[in-house]
Amino acid sequence: MIECPSCGHLHRPGTLFCSECGVYLLTGGPLRTEPLPESDLPTTRADPWESGEKAGTSEAQHETMLVIVPPSGRQLTLPAEGEAVIGRLDATRGVFPNIDLTPEGGLEGGVSRRHARIHKQKAQYFIEDLGSANGTFLNGQRLTPYLPHPLHDGDELQLGRVRIQVAVH
Amino acid sequence: MLNISADATGDEIKHAYRQLARQVHPDMQDTQGTAVLFRQVQEAYEVLSDPIKRSAYDRQRVEAGLSPKSIFQWKMQPSRTALAVSMDEQVVYLLFDISAGQSEEVRGRQTLNICLVLDRSTSMQGSRLEQTKASAQRMIDSLSDDDTLSIVTFSDKAEVVWPSQPLTDPIKTKAKVSAIQASGGTEILQGLLAGLAEIEKRRTQYAVNHLILLTDGQTYGDEERCLSAAEEAARHRIGISAMGIGEDWNDALLDAIASRCGGVSQYIASTGEIQHFLRERLQGLSSVYADNVRLNLRPVNGTRLKSAFKLSPYIERIPLETETLSLGSLQSDSAVSGIIELVVGPHEAGLHRLAQMELVGNIPSRQLYDAMLRQDVTFTFDPNINPNTPAPSHILSALAKVTIFQMQEGALKALEKGDVAGATHRLETMATRLLDMGEHQLARAALLEAGRLARSGNLSPAGRKAIKYGTRSLILASPKER
Repeated sequence: MIECPSCGHLHRPGTLFCSECGVYLLTGGPLRTEPLPESDLPTTRADPWESGEKAGTSEAQHETMLVIVPPSGRQLTLPAEGEAVIGRLDATRGVFPNIDLTPEGGLEGGVSRRHARIHKQKAQYFIEDLGSANGTFLNGQRLTPYLPHPLHDGDELQLGRVRIQVAVH
Repeated sequence: MLNISADATGDEIKHAYRQLARQVHPDMQDTQGTAVLFRQVQEAYEVLSDPIKRSAYDRQRVEAGLSPKSIFQWKMQPSRTALAVSMDEQVVYLLFDISAGQSEEVRGRQTLNICLVLDRSTSMQGSRLEQTKASAQRMIDSLSDDDTLSIVTFSDKAEVVWPSQPLTDPIKTKAKVSAIQASGGTEILQGLLAGLAEIEKRRTQYAVNHLILLTDGQTYGDEERCLSAAEEAARHRIGISAMGIGEDWNDALLDAIASRCGGVSQYIASTGEIQHFLRERLQGLSSVYADNVRLNLRPVNGTRLKSAFKLSPYIERIPLETETLSLGSLQSDSAVSGIIELVVGPHEAGLHRLAQMELVGNIPSRQLYDAMLRQDVTFTFDPNINPNTPAPSHILSALAKVTIFQMQEGALKALEKGDVAGATHRLETMATRLLDMGEHQLARAALLEAGRLARSGNLSPAGRKAIKYGTRSLILASPKER
């Protein structure tokens, strides 16, 4: 049996919502993303001016596919529409990111529900922090929120404490 | 499995197989589960590359509602791809989605045989009756001359204002509607019986036979007989939709009447909405593809059916007295979806069948009665699954809303038993969840009623209806799922 973290009611394994209090049982309800201690995160900032155009035009114009690999090794391919929100699923609040980092320890790792967004513009991929609690880091440098940065093959992303490898095929 | 379309050619199949086999070959990748995956890919290829097995497989897809050639399109999605090997019982949810079969033949508009049953009791006097009359007249204008219409009014007794006949003289019909005056009490049974008798006169197999009831009041003492009249109507394939105007009508009765006949019930808070609902209902009825659609579910191997909910057009609990889940009618332009909760007993590792399902329905345009499709519910029981793998997001999002609907049901049930504290508590927790979801208006209504309940031990009739019909319509709030 599994116990509802909110009201203690017992449910059979596989039950998704508590029938008594309506809480989503897998993550134990609407848990907050806690700010991580400063020392856990890189301190350097990315150059906010290196955004967009100049990097984008040099890329070849053929069809590419972006794959990101979190520490668990499962490969996540960007959805066909070329845009994906990365974050932490919270069914009770109706937040359903395209790429859910809950299985990679998203909550303990300080990943926000809507943490960052990847989108594609003319064969170039961009990463944008969505004002997350613990920040998004590209190759160890913290990104300015809401400012898209180009992504390249072999880049390393860090969302809170969770590290992700980027591959462009 | 091979990720190819149903009409793929031999070469396409071979190509897809070779590519996939390279990816999942156990020599290439040494992760858990590739051996199983590789075997499945091989099996899929063996079936598809053999013309005889392939045609059997194609036929099976048609019979299961998975092919575009099927009479229904029938999709099922489980909340988990594999189940745990465990001594405990576990829960799995199945989301089903049924839509009309695609076919080259043009599906025209359905011929209608409609009876409007209108409440003309004293309480309807004024804008309620005037709006009802105006809406009925608009409806007459939108019917075609193949359609059959009858109009019945009721107060203490019923009168046939317009006997069942094809609509040849709409002006005369509308004049009769204008002459309706309010007076007397509300005896729904009288109206229902007279209306059903009118429909019965011209009932045909190839038309949509439907009664639309509009009322604003409570009926006293004849509720039981209203329900048996509804059951009788269902046996004659007559549908009933019920619309309650204002706050004082009996929501439990109208919901029960409508759900017994595969119709819909509506809460009309202001008289201005009458016309909108009537028009919508008429559009729905004229695009009916199949009626008396039902799922027969036979759980096997220690599986139990715990609950089932319809998700369209609104959340509705499907009664489980028998193994037949009634789904009402299916429109050609929109799907019927729902969610089933199964409790699964212990199983050893491997593939097990948990239930057999049949989808049955009548399709008047193809002259098919009790047309049937079959699907098995099978699951792999895997000792190595991660119990925290999240379910597909649209299942979660639907379940979150069904859960709120169940909390509302729980609150009303507690109140019925006289457990005021329990009902208040449920309404309050429900309001918290609604706030989490961003449903501020409904959350406020729930909190307001929780406060009233704690003080007076009663809900206001308006608040009760706002919560009941608000929670069941949560499913409409997010169009992205549809």
